[in-house]
Amino acid sequence: MFTTLVGKALIPVGLAVTGFMVVCCLVLYSAIRDDLNRGEIVHATNLADTVLKSTRYAMHKSDRDMLSTIISNVGAQNGVDHVRIFNKKGTISFSAINDEINRQVDKKSEGCIGCHKEALPVTTLGNMQKARTFKNSHGLDVIAITAPIYNEPDCSTAACHVHPPEQKVLGTLDIGLSRAERNRSLSMLRIQMAVFTGMCLILTLTGIGSLLRKNVFLPLQKLRDYVEAPPVIHGTPQPPPHLPHDLDLIAARYYGAITHGNDKKNDTTHL
Amino acid sequence: MTKKMTPHISESGDNAAILHDMMREIDRLKNFSTRGLKALALFLVVSSAAWSKFPFLPPAETVTALLGPPPTARIISTVLLIYTFFAIALSIARLTSGIEHRSSFCHVAYLTAFYLFYYFGNTLEDNFLAVCGAGITILGTESYRIWNYCATGISEKREAAEYVNRVGRHPPEA
Repeated sequence: MFTTLVGKALIPVGLAVTGFMVVCCLVLYSAIRDDLNRGEIVHATNLADTVLKSTRYAMHKSDRDMLSTIISNVGAQNGVDHVRIFNKKGTISFSAINDEINRQVDKKSEGCIGCHKEALPVTTLGNMQKARTFKNSHGLDVIAITAPIYNEPDCSTAACHVHPPEQKVLGTLDIGLSRAERNRSLSMLRIQMAVFTGMCLILTLTGIGSLLRKNVFLPLQKLRDYVEAPPVIHGTPQPPPHLPHDLDLIAARYYGAITHGNDKKNDTTHL
Repeated sequence: MTKKMTPHISESGDNAAILHDMMREIDRLKNFSTRGLKALALFLVVSSAAWSKFPFLPPAETVTALLGPPPTARIISTVLLIYTFFAIALSIARLTSGIEHRSSFCHVAYLTAFYLFYYFGNTLEDNFLAVCGAGITILGTESYRIWNYCATGISEKREAAEYVNRVGRHPPEA
């Protein structure tokens, strides 16, 4: 197969087109996935900021019931895996899951280690650093944002429980969102890319193959059959079949050679 | 199935020398024909190391702390696409013009560099398949080009050797 004309025409083209399209699709898929991840983090960070702003008044008024209700309502939303607020000691003060309340978290665990790596905790984090991804207890993909609750000037001067001004972070909001929709989008994208690549490949290879067959291989086969057939039948040289340009020249020369040879033979016979 | 050539030593010493040169050239082409496959095998070894995240290399953070951050994954991917496109185009151009070019192992070096850039940028896992696919495509095309060149050359040399045996002199140049 590698040495035939068909093989020589189709193998390098097929290999090059297939390979390049696959590489393009892989690179494009990777770029789209990165963009989706980035957008997801921005969305989750904005949501965390929204929750913080929504709970700010309740925190100011030290209204724990209102704060607890807000957290529960946010946690009940579709697509929200968990919502919790830690106090400065790392104890869960509020959570959408009641069983978690008053539980202490390990500062070295994922989500906490970003700020608590050193003896002195970090007080500011970039958006991308606030995010972490993991599988929850049900095996579902989750993206979680850890947003610090900063000590604003009116927090340290409030009449309720006063925070000293030198305390930069009062607590942390941890909100986790399901990645099911993103995973579904990526899965659809993979399928669509695979189908698109397959269709392009089939079109390219069958298109090239069909054109080559019609314009090159079939005429070559006709020429070959003509040359391999007996050149003279009942003393008459066989005329060439109709062939496309270039091949008809070859056939015509061959026919000329047969005719010339046949004429010479006839002259010799007569003599 | 390879045809075994048993050269017929003619009376002329020149013919024996011509045949000897032709046989040597055929042997050279046979050795050369596997160059592409050897490069592909080496690339697969490098890919295995990349799949295991280069366990023998220092952590990416150590190197980036020393040399600074690498280019972003997007830039590396763009360069990978451009390189793949031109490498394939060059290989096909060499295939159609029938020139001998010993370029396979340099592609292994370039592709290893891509693996390393992704590794130091901590994006190797996401982009491994792209580099692997590019490597298999480029080296596969190169292997076919080299094999095709050698097969054509061997076939021509065998026909020339038969001509020398039959006629007793070197065939006219095409």
